[in-house]
Amino acid sequence: MTTTTIERPEPGASAPLISVRNLTVSYNVARTGKTLTAIEGVDLDVREGEFVTVLGPSGCGKTTFMNVIAGLVKPTSGEVLVDGRPVTGPGPDRAVVFQDYALLPWRTVFDNVKFGLEMQSRLKGDGWRDRVQEAVELVGLKGFESSYPRELSGGMQQRVGLARAIVAEPRILLMDEPLGAVDALTREVMRDEIEKLIAATGKTVLFITHSIEEAILLGDRIVVFKSHPGAIKEVIETGLERPRSERSVQSEPRFLELRDHLWEALQHEATAAARVAGS
Amino acid sequence: MSAMSAIFASGPNIGRRGLASWLAGLSAGGRAAVLAVEVLLLLVVWQLVVGVWGLVNPVFFPAPLDIARGFGELVASGSLAANAAISLQAWLIGFALAVVVGIPVGLLMGGSLPVDKVVGPIAWTIYATPTIAYQPLSKAWFGFGIGPVIFLVTVSALFPILLNVAAGMRTTSPSLLRAGRVYGASRFELYRKVFLPSTVPFLFAGLRQAVVLATIGMVVAEMTGSSSGMGALIIKAANTYQTDQAFAAIFVVVIWSVSMTQVVSLVERWTAPWTRKARR
Repeated sequence: MTTTTIERPEPGASAPLISVRNLTVSYNVARTGKTLTAIEGVDLDVREGEFVTVLGPSGCGKTTFMNVIAGLVKPTSGEVLVDGRPVTGPGPDRAVVFQDYALLPWRTVFDNVKFGLEMQSRLKGDGWRDRVQEAVELVGLKGFESSYPRELSGGMQQRVGLARAIVAEPRILLMDEPLGAVDALTREVMRDEIEKLIAATGKTVLFITHSIEEAILLGDRIVVFKSHPGAIKEVIETGLERPRSERSVQSEPRFLELRDHLWEALQHEATAAARVAGS
Repeated sequence: MSAMSAIFASGPNIGRRGLASWLAGLSAGGRAAVLAVEVLLLLVVWQLVVGVWGLVNPVFFPAPLDIARGFGELVASGSLAANAAISLQAWLIGFALAVVVGIPVGLLMGGSLPVDKVVGPIAWTIYATPTIAYQPLSKAWFGFGIGPVIFLVTVSALFPILLNVAAGMRTTSPSLLRAGRVYGASRFELYRKVFLPSTVPFLFAGLRQAVVLATIGMVVAEMTGSSSGMGALIIKAANTYQTDQAFAAIFVVVIWSVSMTQVVSLVERWTAPWTRKARR
């Protein structure tokens, strides 16, 4: 994956691109008849071009949070604004990279990437073929265009998921633990690649993870979630220089300081969650 | 104790894995050769037990060579061709009807909960009833010609197709549907580009079951009260103690059934190449 770095928009220069206001989502659990609050009272502003990582223990509602922004889940109360307009459903300004890849198994790599354009009726003219091909090559899958997803490794499948999101040219990229199901070695390689790729495209990213290192390495800001109910515990600016690479960043004092801090915060959360689960 | 149990646990496994891996390592031609040797051995033993040593009365269980002779007689007299043609006609019409009705109704059932609630229990009840129970009724409804045979073939083939298609629709991955929605698929596009392709492997699984059940339905219908068709041929031959001819007719039916399941698999590989199993 070779990319050239272009200027990232200066954060904070304009109104926030994503604005989450007092967001609460609760579900009625049919089996027990109880109401389950997934997230409660979440407020967050994300500036254009910002890379925000969302960190939290499993079951803290971070995926629900992302699904509301994607337009897949309706808020119970509060609202999400994208570019000043309330989100009422999915839209071409947002694309999602899923943890389980969510590739169509009956489509080849090329046709899966094409899907990102196809559903938005953007296959008119001739230009789309080049754009799909470009996206395939950008994620390093040249030569695999006619492979089926199950013929690829997990890491390669997620590259397809990434290409499908990028080709749609969204302003906002929502990534739900995209490297969660990928093996450790591939994960490290792909972190660096995602960092470079996003830096090159200047997209606004919301990246969900439960890996502390990943949250620090990728994020301009880290949003830490707590569970039961899911809510924002704290928001931290990483303040690390870009471009970053896994090896250079991990020896910086700021990285170590953040890691210790987040460890402590999450450990507290994890024990609290275990207590709730046990009670 | 633990060493003993370890030996017992691993012993047979090693042997089985050895044979399995030897078989798995064979080429397509090699596997065919193994199968041919297997069949040949079986036939030789069978011929020896019945034909040479006379351990079983050949009227009850004719030897392979007798069956081959019976087959020759059936071909020579023209009764095989005549009966097979009638069976083939009934089978193809009945199966086509089952496909034409089963696929759309299955899609409706899988796509709509109310339809599923109404049609589902009826479908399962008919599916669960032994085919032969419908035979007297079907004669009352459709007379003594090819009608009842077509009816039983259709009833037998319909429900595996219908119920599998419905199951395929229902088990469409929620994650793929989310992806479809995120990238802007309309309701119609979700059906056409996510639900339908997801259902294809289920459809073919249903078709394979339907082939076997349709053949059973056909033979059952022809055996009871029909004067023609492979089922009638089997009954007539058996009733006149020409068991060699009866067995020959049974083999023809079996070969038809097995080759049609192979045809379904071929069509699947051709139209849905993504379902081909990955080689491990």
